[in-house]
Amino acid sequence: MASHADYKDRQFLAVIGDEVMSRTPPDSQKNFLVVDNKTETSAIEAAFESFTTQRKDIGIVLINQHIADKIRHRIDTYTSAFPTILEIPSKEHPYDPEKDSVLRRVRRLFGE
Amino acid sequence: MEVDRIDLLLERYLHLLHEYTTLREQLSTLQTGMYQNIARANFAAERGMRFGQDFYDERMQASRKLAITPAGGNDDDNNQEHIPVPVFAIAVAGSTEPEVSEKGAATASTTTDDGIRDEEGGKEEEEETREPSPNKKERRNDDPLRWFGLLTPMPLRQAQAQSIQAVEQVIPKLVSVNAQMAQVEIEVRRARKKRAKAEAAAIKQEQGVGAGAEITA
Repeated sequence: MASHADYKDRQFLAVIGDEVMSRTPPDSQKNFLVVDNKTETSAIEAAFESFTTQRKDIGIVLINQHIADKIRHRIDTYTSAFPTILEIPSKEHPYDPEKDSVLRRVRRLFGE
Repeated sequence: MEVDRIDLLLERYLHLLHEYTTLREQLSTLQTGMYQNIARANFAAERGMRFGQDFYDERMQASRKLAITPAGGNDDDNNQEHIPVPVFAIAVAGSTEPEVSEKGAATASTTTDDGIRDEEGGKEEEEETREPSPNKKERRNDDPLRWFGLLTPMPLRQAQAQSIQAVEQVIPKLVSVNAQMAQVEIEVRRARKKRAKAEAAAIKQEQGVGAGAEITA
């Protein structure tokens, strides 16, 4: 449970999302990535890597579901307790329970 | 008795799942309202002005802070190994730390963080007027709504209030429920493994008894 030890320092939310979802950074480090259709998948991956692995002050990473789809393999293989990842809908992409990683876990538990 | 325990765990899991889907619905409703309000604000805006990234203040600071506390495991009766399940909560960065403002503005500016969208602020303002504090002026300036001018349209304020509600109330609950669900999943798998082991042992024993019976016959 080493990952539980550092929860106290995790005071920030990070966001990977489209424009209206953006949030604000602590000090000089940005804790958001604004994604539009020109954003490379590698940039999204880099931000995800930074928020989840490198930075120790992020507690929740909010990511638009359609953007999470672009790095689905990363999201699905992510297992750390902190930061926790929450996929949220965006303006043009309503919430899709089929893609929700939590509901996918539910199905797996019930043997589907 | 493992079967009973698994049933209990699954029952608890289904309650959590219900809570999760309800919160998801709440979040969707809030976000839909928020997007509609932003669209409304943009529609009514002057000279093709668009409320968006172009107006972001590069000096922005976080105005909402996250607090993660480990709950004392779950209240499940016969749970031997208590793994603390984290509980997430969001607090307004300034108002929860009055001592910060006393220490001085410099510390206040470094410790105030924010997890807030560009369209939030109306609610914050209300909070400020309700309980005036020494750093009132500073926080007012931090309001992201100010990035878009002094007279921000009502829909934009409403969008901000909705996203504050999403960030302060729905999102922390959602991730907390998610953490609890993950914990129950682990317990269910453990209990199932135990049951499988017990079953295998029982079969072996039966076979052993059977073989023994054959030999004696």
